Amino acid sequence: MTRRALALKLEPYFYTAPSLLLIAAIMLVPLVTGLSYAFHDLILLDPLSGDFVGLDHFREMLDDDGFWTALRNTVVWTAVSVALQFTFGLILALLLNRPFPGRGLVQALVFLPWAVPGFLSGLTWAWLFNPVIGPLPHWLQGLGLLATPENILSDPHLALWGPIAANVWWGIPFFAITLLAALQSIPKDIYEAAAMDGAGPLLRFRRVTLPLLAPTIAITVMLRTVWVANFAELIVVMTKGGPADATQILSSYIFTLAFQRLDFGYASAVAAVLLLLLLAYAAAVMVLRHAMTERA
Amino acid sequence: MSKTLSRTLLPRLLHALALAAFVAFALFPLFWLLKVSLTPDDLMYGEGVRLWPSRVTLDHYGAVLRHSQFPLFFRNSLIVSTATGLLATAAASAAGYAFSRFRFPGKAWVVGVMLISQMFPLVIIVAPIFRLLAPLGLTNSLTGLVVVYTAFNTPFAAFLMQSFFEAIPKDLEEAAMMDGATRFQALRRVILPLTLPGLAATGGFVFTAAWSELLFSLMLNSSAAVSTFPAGLLGFVSKFSVDFGQMMAAGVLALLPVGAFFLLIQRYLVQGLTAGAVKG
Amino acid sequence: MMLKWLLLTLVLALSALPARADELRLVEVLSSPERTETLKHLVAGFEARHPGTHVEITSLAWGSAFEKLATMVAAGDIPDVVEMPDRWLSLYAGNGQLESLEPYLARWPETRGLNERALTVARSVADTAYMLPYGFYLRALYYNKAVFRQAGIAEPPKTLEELRADAARIAQLPGKSGYCLRGGPGGLNGWVMFGASIAGGNAFFHEDGTSTLNDPGWVAGTSWLIDLYQKGLAPKDSVNWGFNEVVAGFYTGTCAMVDQDPDALIALKARMRAEDFGVAPWPKGPNGKAYPTLGFAGWSIFKRSAHKDLAWDLVVALNDPAGNLAWNQQTGALPIYTAAAHDPLYAGAIYQGWFAELADPDVVPTLMPTYLPGFAYFADSLVVRSSQQALLGQISPATMNKQWAAYLTKARRKQAEGVK
Repeated sequence: MTRRALALKLEPYFYTAPSLLLIAAIMLVPLVTGLSYAFHDLILLDPLSGDFVGLDHFREMLDDDGFWTALRNTVVWTAVSVALQFTFGLILALLLNRPFPGRGLVQALVFLPWAVPGFLSGLTWAWLFNPVIGPLPHWLQGLGLLATPENILSDPHLALWGPIAANVWWGIPFFAITLLAALQSIPKDIYEAAAMDGAGPLLRFRRVTLPLLAPTIAITVMLRTVWVANFAELIVVMTKGGPADATQILSSYIFTLAFQRLDFGYASAVAAVLLLLLLAYAAAVMVLRHAMTERA
Repeated sequence: MSKTLSRTLLPRLLHALALAAFVAFALFPLFWLLKVSLTPDDLMYGEGVRLWPSRVTLDHYGAVLRHSQFPLFFRNSLIVSTATGLLATAAASAAGYAFSRFRFPGKAWVVGVMLISQMFPLVIIVAPIFRLLAPLGLTNSLTGLVVVYTAFNTPFAAFLMQSFFEAIPKDLEEAAMMDGATRFQALRRVILPLTLPGLAATGGFVFTAAWSELLFSLMLNSSAAVSTFPAGLLGFVSKFSVDFGQMMAAGVLALLPVGAFFLLIQRYLVQGLTAGAVKG
Repeated sequence: MMLKWLLLTLVLALSALPARADELRLVEVLSSPERTETLKHLVAGFEARHPGTHVEITSLAWGSAFEKLATMVAAGDIPDVVEMPDRWLSLYAGNGQLESLEPYLARWPETRGLNERALTVARSVADTAYMLPYGFYLRALYYNKAVFRQAGIAEPPKTLEELRADAARIAQLPGKSGYCLRGGPGGLNGWVMFGASIAGGNAFFHEDGTSTLNDPGWVAGTSWLIDLYQKGLAPKDSVNWGFNEVVAGFYTGTCAMVDQDPDALIALKARMRAEDFGVAPWPKGPNGKAYPTLGFAGWSIFKRSAHKDLAWDLVVALNDPAGNLAWNQQTGALPIYTAAAHDPLYAGAIYQGWFAELADPDVVPTLMPTYLPGFAYFADSLVVRSSQQALLGQISPATMNKQWAAYLTKARRKQAEGVK
């Protein structure tokens, strides 16, 4: 092989190497270290801990109510948040896809929540839900949704809706931006052809828009789901997982285990389970997406 | 007459109403943030649920700017976010370019590694990262944060950049290479200028993410000299009281640069993503 | 061109980063801007007396200080002197991280001036002084005089029965509740005070080392508080309240009584008129005794400090009678020096509530079992979760107490094994 051919072969690696090395050093090596704790009895600051315990932590998890509660909450939190973010994001993208005067400004304003740090979003929404200093409980009462203007964050049956509301507010722009971009790249003539065939707006949406958007939808929903499942900041700020674990999700539970109980071993085991669940989910989405694009 | 009116005007009205609802939903929490930051301490609770306090004050802003360390925290956040934005965008555009233009052995693995890096709660690597960075003198340092944030943000940024590159026809650099340029020269002179909106969008995305990051800023750095703004916000919550007015004022101030920046780049984000998105 | 610009910006950005080099590192964990100022002032005095020594002060935000310090220490990034709250002492001392201060105390002339309680708590882990306390936090009853007047109540309650009756009267007022319950982080003090006062004793363990917490008396005590909440005598959302919410609830008049340490004065004085609130001794239980909890915090030196003598000198600068008085002006904590009780700082009407408690033989300041390994987790996670479940009626008080007793019994056994 000539030097030039070799250089050509190596070129893609040259481009990917900086990212790959960085990610490997800062994320993967620590991840492997972190996951190895899952098989050890590792208590932070305890010099006597650190023995290999095999799968003990995973067996412990089976009987751990805290784990199962958090798992259930993770599913609800993720599914509801992503579904609402997606639905409203899609509606917003469709609204913005139509030209109107002042579109640039409106677009800029509705995308603004994404620029708000998660911590600050959580804090603001916690204020909004507080009956002494926020309007929401009084509005909810006015709408007949609450009997008295109380703080839903302290009601175990309603508390999870608080962080979900904040998360929906914060996450709509992400979907709106990606879906709007996808919408704008659908060639106009396809719509025109469909309209000529007598398809109404609803039918056009179902027959043309949705199938063409499907690949984008699949990938953004997948990424988003994974992020939301791991995103504990809003919950930690707004409810600290309470009351009585009603809003504890796996990633906030892992934080509690690691940094309150200082039980790094068990925390890592729970994290490993979460990682496996998310990997399985992502793989399923990818397979589905592949099948869909094949059919199209 | 009335029939055509209802056919054209009604949908337009509904469209406008729906958009107005979205704008109101997006802005109301921010309005509340602003309101709290302008409310004097003695009215904070007494007029807590009023839409606008009977008196407003700029005291909280004055206190934040003059008596707290927030100017320092802003500076730190600005340094970290800018450096992260530039570095991650540079690394990600190289990787994104490779994803979009080459088929090479191990490509699936590289993509897989990047995907996996997005799939676990970062809490679990706080301690290992601390152990990794401490001997290098990279804890309690802005450089350490830049390194960590760059790693966190590169994967998604690379996928973004990939879709931007997909939007640019391959013929362009092939033509340049026919004229004797190396691929790298073609990339620099022909392709990169065309992806400028994409680069801006990616940089903006990373900048925003780094600007907001709390966990690692909190856990890796402890001295005020190297605190970023989100960690600084926590300082308003002492064991003894919370200065909500000042905290919200600091929050509003912190939103200004990132909000302005975001307003500038969001149109590029949509524009740049447009062509690549469906293939993405 | 663009690349060059990029690199240039980076180099500029990175070279602007500060470097680190310090001789002594001091970590403050219960930080507030005012305290940090006082600390800086004391440290400046120390530096003036030790030319060439520089002290780097790190002020951690209280909300994340625990995980922060634990991570630092575990990774070997170890400060010399650290502010040590009572509930962390067993974790660091028990794991051999702290230097024994006994040899220093033996040489120090001021040791004789410390009151007996100061030395007792200093030695609460393994009978060795692993910290030098700077002050005590004794709970007392704060009451909102304005709301009391509105409800037609003349005096603060003297017994728990009166407290409940007063709370019921206040709850008749629109939008007001009687008691500011702390159902979230830090709520353990309240559970212990009501529990012990109703149980009529503050022992946490039987002679055989099993915990008393699921004895009928303690169960009656926690049931009493749960009933108070479930009958609507505390705000409904107080199930989630921590320190800041409790104090905010109190000064906004949402709830009229709260159990608090002197340090709450800092927040209250800034927001309430002095004539609108008072501090009374903790109400007595059925047996005529009251058991307010007693907390403490102090200074510790890490064993791996490279400059231990210098570190001790710094502790002395912070905690000799002059330094301690200046410091406690910010912390509001009660004095460790016998002589300081007569200082003008403690002479105001507000502090009388506490000195009345200390003088009353029927008021028994209660130290929580902070010496147990895993106490921080017990107080901050396990108790928060189970007590919220009990307040919400998801588990019975008996079940809750059983969980607590099981954990404490286990921790006590672990501690006993550790000593062997």
